[in-house]
Amino acid sequence: MSKYRIMYAKAGPARYLSHLDLLRAFERAARRAGLPLAFTRGYNPHPKISFAAPLGVGTAGEREFADLELAADILPERVAGDLSGAMPEGLRVIEVRKVPEQSPPLMSAVGRATYRAVAKLKQPADSDWLAGRIKDFLSLPEILVERKNKAGEKKLFDIKPGIFSVSGRIDGDIIVVEAELKAGSSGNVRFEEVLSSLEKNTGLSVLSRFSLCRTGLYRAGDGDKKKLMW
Amino acid sequence: MEILDQILPAVQKPARYAGGEWNSVRKDWDGADVRLAFAYPDVYEVGMSHLGLHILYSIVNARPGALMERVFAPWPDMAEKMKGHGLPLFTLESRRPVKDFDILAFTLQYEMSFSNILYMLDLAGIPLESRRREGRPLVIAGGPCAFNPEPLAEIIDLFVIGEGEEAIDEFLDVFLDGRKRGLTKKEFLLEVSGVRGVYVPSFYRPCLREDGSPGGVEPVLNGAPRRVIKRLVGDLDQAPFPVKPVVPSTEAVHDRIMLEVFRGCTRGCRFCQAGMIYRPVRERKAETVLRQADELVRNTGCDEISLTSLSTSDYTPVRRVVSSILDKHACRGVGVSLPSLRADGFSIELAKEVQRVRRSSLTFAPEAGTQRLRDVINKGVTEEDLIETAEAAFKEGWHSLKLYFMIGLPTETDDDLDGIAALARKVLEAGRRAGAQRGRLKVTVSASSFVPKAHTPFQWESQAGMEELKRKQAYLSGRLKERGIVFNYHDPGLSFIEAAFARGDRRLNGVLIRAFESGCKFDGWTEHFDLSRWLEAFRSAGLDPGMYAYRRYCYDDVLPWDHIDAGVSKEFLVNEHRLAMAGVTTGDCRTGSCRGCGLCSALEVRPVCAGR
Repeated sequence: MSKYRIMYAKAGPARYLSHLDLLRAFERAARRAGLPLAFTRGYNPHPKISFAAPLGVGTAGEREFADLELAADILPERVAGDLSGAMPEGLRVIEVRKVPEQSPPLMSAVGRATYRAVAKLKQPADSDWLAGRIKDFLSLPEILVERKNKAGEKKLFDIKPGIFSVSGRIDGDIIVVEAELKAGSSGNVRFEEVLSSLEKNTGLSVLSRFSLCRTGLYRAGDGDKKKLMW
Repeated sequence: MEILDQILPAVQKPARYAGGEWNSVRKDWDGADVRLAFAYPDVYEVGMSHLGLHILYSIVNARPGALMERVFAPWPDMAEKMKGHGLPLFTLESRRPVKDFDILAFTLQYEMSFSNILYMLDLAGIPLESRRREGRPLVIAGGPCAFNPEPLAEIIDLFVIGEGEEAIDEFLDVFLDGRKRGLTKKEFLLEVSGVRGVYVPSFYRPCLREDGSPGGVEPVLNGAPRRVIKRLVGDLDQAPFPVKPVVPSTEAVHDRIMLEVFRGCTRGCRFCQAGMIYRPVRERKAETVLRQADELVRNTGCDEISLTSLSTSDYTPVRRVVSSILDKHACRGVGVSLPSLRADGFSIELAKEVQRVRRSSLTFAPEAGTQRLRDVINKGVTEEDLIETAEAAFKEGWHSLKLYFMIGLPTETDDDLDGIAALARKVLEAGRRAGAQRGRLKVTVSASSFVPKAHTPFQWESQAGMEELKRKQAYLSGRLKERGIVFNYHDPGLSFIEAAFARGDRRLNGVLIRAFESGCKFDGWTEHFDLSRWLEAFRSAGLDPGMYAYRRYCYDDVLPWDHIDAGVSKEFLVNEHRLAMAGVTTGDCRTGSCRGCGLCSALEVRPVCAGR
């Protein structure tokens, strides 16, 4: 059994694949590529494929991660090459590395993520104005968003501790917002929450929906230094 | 398309509309002489499970100068957004408006999808009625419901009756030739009406009986054939089969490889339209199926191959084909599934083999609860077979079985309903005897309502009244209240409207348009179906759905679909109906002698069986 970590991008039509669709897409691509998938045991065997962190439907990803287990030892470059030729439109394999079989699940290692949002502005503004608004936003004592708890009740939740940085620029009528947020199983902050709080608190108003991209996924617990999920 | 990127993040299951699937074909638009859009009048997940789409898509796209793209019915949330942004219905491949295509081809798989044809035309900005359309696109249709085309005769420009893969090339030749000569729509239609299997409804007129009930249809134009004979693939083994089907990007209803092992079924169930219109049986050679299984696994990467047909346990080399596929592909996690099984020992052997990779559910279709009624409908299943099979299945480790029944069948009484309940209990009992785990033991009983269909021995029969169906359902429900038994049934209102359209005439075009205008769409979906709207649409057209659904015809009545020739003779259907009423069964011509349905001599074909 060999375990491979795949860095890939999700763009174009593939942005609209759900988590489950993506799992199927990887399984099918691996089978088309002729890679010997490893399976769970039992009456309903599943291929051993896992993802670092689910990505919202519609959001693109530039450096996403998945683990894939194979029943044979194959050079990672070959896995990358074979898989590349079998991916549907919008899914692109960037790099494959072999990881120890016992390495902890990807899901539990994720700590932070970086994002980018692009939209058209309703009214012209400049980058300095935006920088000021973001500064005001980040100096708020708390940033409350409404979330549903397990019982389905709406609760206010402070996302501020999970916001590591927000920056932005304006170029003509195009606004770009970038952020680094806490990701993973605890304290995860959704980029959409940050954007809507930002809009609400700054009077920023965009003409069209933000197009969203997660630009990278990083390990937890490395202080200020970002380290990709390898 | 920037608008689409604004819309898609805000709709349910946006992958339905995103395209870009593996094996989807994007041919050069400007380099094509003829452009077709294949329209499935239901959502993506349903439409992508339809083998016919994949067959035609691969044939047309393999033809130089022709391109075919796909379009499905957008779910209402998407339709609303599209309207809001002024985005007309578009195809998945090039994202071009459907109205830019030369030909828009609908498949008619079930009557309750008819309202979605209007829904899609409307979203595309195409006039609903054929007479209001002059230029592009030509709107054509095929599929099983085209065997009674009258309810859509004023909407569709022309129908292709029978197996489309056999007709499409000839049809496109005539189309291209007509365009080269600059024919008008009417001139083209006249010319194409000479192609076997093509029905141009505007060249025919419906006749009414004196009491206003539906009658026959006759040509009004010289040159239009009196009867339109179905198209048929003679050599299915060598017929083109899509070994590079589009792999759905989001879970389809049947999310697996579809590999057709044979077409047609001559078991002769008397209610079954497919069993009549797809005759004769044509099995494909084991070698062909196995070769295509390899290619399909390689080309799709799917983890399951469904061996499809109307009754796969009847496929002569089924055992060898299943074993060979598994021997080769089980190690890659690829399993085999069979749509439904005949109730006998052989099927359990098959099912055991199939579950080497994945255990799938087991489904049997006894259809009726007593031997008497099973003889009436010619369903050759005995109680002993079913109970023995069920017991064997439970012993092999299955703990849940599904049983399909039909209620409201001709001659049915409450004794037959008691029979359904008794049969379900006996199956449950067999499970207990076989030691199936108590908590997990489950027998699911599904009861659909009988709908008399055109071209079947029961085409003259009346449907049971809606109230009577409700009573039957309640009666059964009361007798199936037992731990371990789950009872499902269909909305009788939906079956009533389905029956009206299944034997409808041309006047139903008006009803359909009114129903659509009052908001009817996705009528095969219980959550969207609204009986009151349909009843109102009938009322405002001055018609009664009961006149269609409940009408009991005489053998010598001329029927609204008599001008469509499915190859099976009317004498045979009459005789089968008489035998049904006498409770006499008819055997399968595949294993016994010819039963005289008349098809082989009329269409110059023969049943084809593969070697074991």
